[in-house]
Amino acid sequence: MFDGLIGFAHSIWSFSSPETILYALGASLVGLIIGALPGLTATMGVALMTTLTLKLPPNDALLILICTYVGAIYGGSRSAILLNIPGTPASAASCLDGYALAKQGLAGRAMGIATSGSILGTWIGMFFLALFTPMLGEMALKFGAYEFFWLAVFGVVISGNLTGTDPLKGWIAGFIGLFIASIGQEGMYAYDRFTFGVHDLSGGIALIPALVGVFGFAEVLNVMKDKPQKFIINAYDTVIPRIKDVVQYWRTIIRSGLIGTFIGIVPGVGEDVAAWSSYAAARRASKEKAKFGKGSVEGLMAAETGDNACVPGAVIPVLTLAVPGSAPAAVLLAAMLIHGVRPGPLIMVENPTFVYDVVAMMLFASIGILIYGLTLTKLLVKILLVPRALIMPVIFVLCAVGSYAIASRPFDILVMLVFGVVGLILRNLNYPMAPLVLGIVLGDLLDKSLRRGLNLSDGDLTPFFGRPIAFVLFMLVLLTLLMNIPVARKLMGQGTALLLRPFRRA
Amino acid sequence: MDDSQATGLAAEESVSPRADFWSSFIWIGLGIAMLWMSLNMDRLERFQASIYTAPGLVPGLLGIAIALMGVILLVRSVNAGALRQRERKPLVLAQHWRLIFSLSLSLVYALIVVASALPFWLVTAVYITIFVIVFQYAERRAKAQVPRGIAVAVVHGLLAGVLIQYVFEELFLVRLP
Repeated sequence: MFDGLIGFAHSIWSFSSPETILYALGASLVGLIIGALPGLTATMGVALMTTLTLKLPPNDALLILICTYVGAIYGGSRSAILLNIPGTPASAASCLDGYALAKQGLAGRAMGIATSGSILGTWIGMFFLALFTPMLGEMALKFGAYEFFWLAVFGVVISGNLTGTDPLKGWIAGFIGLFIASIGQEGMYAYDRFTFGVHDLSGGIALIPALVGVFGFAEVLNVMKDKPQKFIINAYDTVIPRIKDVVQYWRTIIRSGLIGTFIGIVPGVGEDVAAWSSYAAARRASKEKAKFGKGSVEGLMAAETGDNACVPGAVIPVLTLAVPGSAPAAVLLAAMLIHGVRPGPLIMVENPTFVYDVVAMMLFASIGILIYGLTLTKLLVKILLVPRALIMPVIFVLCAVGSYAIASRPFDILVMLVFGVVGLILRNLNYPMAPLVLGIVLGDLLDKSLRRGLNLSDGDLTPFFGRPIAFVLFMLVLLTLLMNIPVARKLMGQGTALLLRPFRRA
Repeated sequence: MDDSQATGLAAEESVSPRADFWSSFIWIGLGIAMLWMSLNMDRLERFQASIYTAPGLVPGLLGIAIALMGVILLVRSVNAGALRQRERKPLVLAQHWRLIFSLSLSLVYALIVVASALPFWLVTAVYITIFVIVFQYAERRAKAQVPRGIAVAVVHGLLAGVLIQYVFEELFLVRLP
């Protein structure tokens, strides 16, 4: 406990140089602007910033990326409240009550609620990041090939199940991601798979260009394909958060913080599910259900706390298992690997202070959003009104140059283009992109774990189901699949009712 | 508003069963191709490699899974009426000019950046200028501001081109293509 506090204090002290604070504030602002602009997502922001921070020392680069991530998730609330357009998918739930408050002339109060909810959500998530990461790291040391195999399958299946509206399409996207990860030289014998003699494909599909394509280029095309909208911004009152709102809804804040953090830990699910789940839970528990959707302070607080608590939550599996909890966390994972940080079960052994460094980075990001939340409202309103035709070509140029900059390979620009076009088509066919990204990240882990596991057991499948953690993960995969089959769901419902009958009588 | 409605707000537009019908063939085809290629991959037995570590094992299993999910999508789309929908909406390319133009211009720009010896800042400036002029033309014409719109586009393009080249080449020490 005290070791953790000392580690955290040391990390804050190590980041307390003027240069680092400037990086944190600058990155939070960039994140906020990216998040506030509809069409630019947190994933794209973090991916583009990864390419811009390649030459920086690892801690500075990761500080910038985390501040961008937190800033972008918070920034999405601005356009949700002012324009009724979620700046990022995570802010979709905030539109319901945020815009309703804005229409009542309370946009400033709504922004204040978003600021307080986001900061408190980040802090709750930070607390659990510091608390759970060492514990999960300890548990992750027990993971072998069998457990990692099921973890990879679970990640793709649960992400496919929760991130879109159609689980089947989510799973297809996830498995396509796993297939993409198998392109190039495999990890055991350096054997070329699906390269068709193309030399550049031997190195595999790099994650960052693929992500920049899917979340950057595809977004540019998606925004430009529709006619620009005329934005009308309602008048707004003071943006200073009210202590009364926080004190009155402290239960909602803690509940949403816990839900957001937990959903963040689940691989590949992300902030939008966290926001909707927190919103739905707040509504169920609320004494003022009728106000939800009509300008409920509690609803907005729940959504904003939930999505920002998800950010530190999504970093927990990145650090302990090298499995991302959300799409932007997948970019963060890639950035850590690029900068020579090796996240995974051994992080608490090899680099224990890094966990507290990440917690300190989150704290700096929350301070950044507090400062900008209180001061930059007018500037952000002006930025929201900048025509998309001026921003989007610059974003595309950054997508192209950023993809190239990582390895100075023109091939990566082509990867970005192909993923952008394919990503646009798939999104229009309702295939979610988060499972695809998670599949690309987890493909190598799944491939090596299955083959290594089978080799160790000499083809015996028992260890895949017989070891406790592997069994639990397998059951979770099975339950997730069965829940989507109507007959199985009905049978499970009847079985559960039968099991619970004696308790109900009692 | 109930929870399902709330969740529904986040949902994307529904896709026609016919689109699912045709995309299912792509997944079935891809899955079968993956399985076939995996079966034909070297099993490296001459290096005493275990059959369980064969490079084609995982892609083969993935191929089976993708093909299977493609079949489920196919059956589902047929049940949803993919084959019953006879009337086809003609594709009017002019309605999609924004997407076609932004995609074509961006692809041409990327190919010129990769394959030509032209200075990066110049190609970027021209790309951004054309992009801005075309997409702002209708609005500028309605306000009788076409020359001003062109001037803004040129300045924006030049500034962005020079600045991006400077940042990447001078600050990040990346040699641009």
